[in-house]
Amino acid sequence: MGLLRTFSAIAVRIPLLLWSVIVIFPLIWMFLGAFKTNAEIFVSPWSWPQNFNFNNFIEAWTEYNIGSSFLNTLFVTALGTLLCLVFSIPTAYALERLRFKGSDILLNIYLASMMLPSVLGWIPLFFLLLKMHMLDNLWALSLVYAVSHIPFTIFILVSFMGNVPRELEEAAAIDGMSPYGILLKIVTPLVKSGIITASILNAISFWNEYFMALILLQTDSKNTLGVAMDLLKISARYESAWGVLFAGLCISVIPVIIFYSIFQRHIVKGMTEGAIK
Amino acid sequence: MGVVQSKRQKYLFLAFCLLPTFIVFCLFTVYPMVGGVYYSFFDWSGTSSVMKFIGLDNYKRIFSDSVIPKAIFNDYFFVFVKVIGIMVLSLFFAVALTQLRIKEAPFYRIVFFFPNIMSVVVIGILWQFIYDPNIGLLNGLFRAIGLEAWARPWLGDMTWALPSIAIPAIWAGIGLFMLLLMGGISNIPKSLYEAADIDGASEWQQFWKITVPLIWPQIKTSILYIIITSLNGSFVLVQVMTAGGPGIATEVLGSYLYQRAFEDFKFGYGAAIGVVILVLSLATVLIFQFLLKKEKVEY
Repeated sequence: MGLLRTFSAIAVRIPLLLWSVIVIFPLIWMFLGAFKTNAEIFVSPWSWPQNFNFNNFIEAWTEYNIGSSFLNTLFVTALGTLLCLVFSIPTAYALERLRFKGSDILLNIYLASMMLPSVLGWIPLFFLLLKMHMLDNLWALSLVYAVSHIPFTIFILVSFMGNVPRELEEAAAIDGMSPYGILLKIVTPLVKSGIITASILNAISFWNEYFMALILLQTDSKNTLGVAMDLLKISARYESAWGVLFAGLCISVIPVIIFYSIFQRHIVKGMTEGAIK
Repeated sequence: MGVVQSKRQKYLFLAFCLLPTFIVFCLFTVYPMVGGVYYSFFDWSGTSSVMKFIGLDNYKRIFSDSVIPKAIFNDYFFVFVKVIGIMVLSLFFAVALTQLRIKEAPFYRIVFFFPNIMSVVVIGILWQFIYDPNIGLLNGLFRAIGLEAWARPWLGDMTWALPSIAIPAIWAGIGLFMLLLMGGISNIPKSLYEAADIDGASEWQQFWKITVPLIWPQIKTSILYIIITSLNGSFVLVQVMTAGGPGIATEVLGSYLYQRAFEDFKFGYGAAIGVVILVLSLATVLIFQFLLKKEKVEY
């Protein structure tokens, strides 16, 4: 019996360990590749870098626009996340707390829109921004990102606002606080953890977004990381600058890794709740 | 007077909360969707101011376009392979990590979730490298263990390109659904398993008779979520990894829309493809919701 138990304990771990290797190994390979010269990469994919220098990173950052794209992505991520909150918090509050005729319908419109393929809307969106002279504009891209995540953010915030005790709002109203004050000073601080959860997930999506940026941005200096990495991939192919490409991948991933390790719990909670709908 | 005033203020506050959000939502989400359907009835190159109304001609062209059936097939290939691959693996991992008393379970949980937070571009480029004929990991592995004959240019191969894209899609999807299912399993009362043990039910029977029925809502949600995200979004990975190639071997509707509209400037035709994506994804969701309608089990 003891032997059987040991055997099954090992048997279960084989697929778990195998999948861990399948997940981790490509990432380690990517990090090591960023420190290798092209010659080293060509000799063998399995070799260890001769010496750890940051030339590939410097080259990616300065000569392939990864530096400016990094800053652009940071800007778009921060502004998009902030705008999304500005739009979503009041609406989530009104939908959850100020019941009115049609509030359920409105909530369902927002939620249903999450099921629609956004690719259908990209053609009109492109021409809308063209007409408004907002193409190739990082402010406009941030706004588009923010709006695209309003439904998800409302969905998360509504469930958090349901847990705020009504007595606090009523007490503040009796003390003569305006509804604007109640929303800003009472409710918003109380749903802080919901705001954090939604914002982290929004920030990760905006940081990672590629296709809308590809369509809505046009000049190299405006590119975000997704588009810049795609361009770097193409030039790396012609110039065989593989180490630089690996370095670029690392630069795109490292902020998300740091973010993930700090906010692991929030991310997991928000993503699973978001998927349940 | 006071009541009137406060009623008016109440409406003002409601408008303050709802209107700005609803306006930007209509402008950047609703209008583009409706506009997509509208444009699909026009012949339009985008640059000229001439938009020619052609009725259903774009749709007629879609029916005679030989790329479309292949793209639809590929879209559903991804749906099928992702649903099976992700559900089998994530269900296995979820059960293993919740019920088999594995000490290092948190380690696996964190590692398996990691690809979920990476961007599709990074995943696509990374896997292009793994598949690279010369410097790639996969061919390197086959050569190292003496299976030279298995090495091939995976993404350039007419038959292997499509499955080669499905694998990173599964790789990147496991973690989220594993966590979703783990949440469901941890809500199952332990007493059910204890009772089943006393009755002499094997672990396999317990899995099918207790675990699966009780996490059926989570399983159903996961499958629907995979279907929607796959039909609406798998083209991003395709566009990054192969742009539909070699030939049209990996083309899906979304990538074909992008190429027609933003590379060939056939915006009306692209919009019509978008409508096809919309109709197919809504129809598929409805059909699956009907097929998976199984009463919630209560014990």
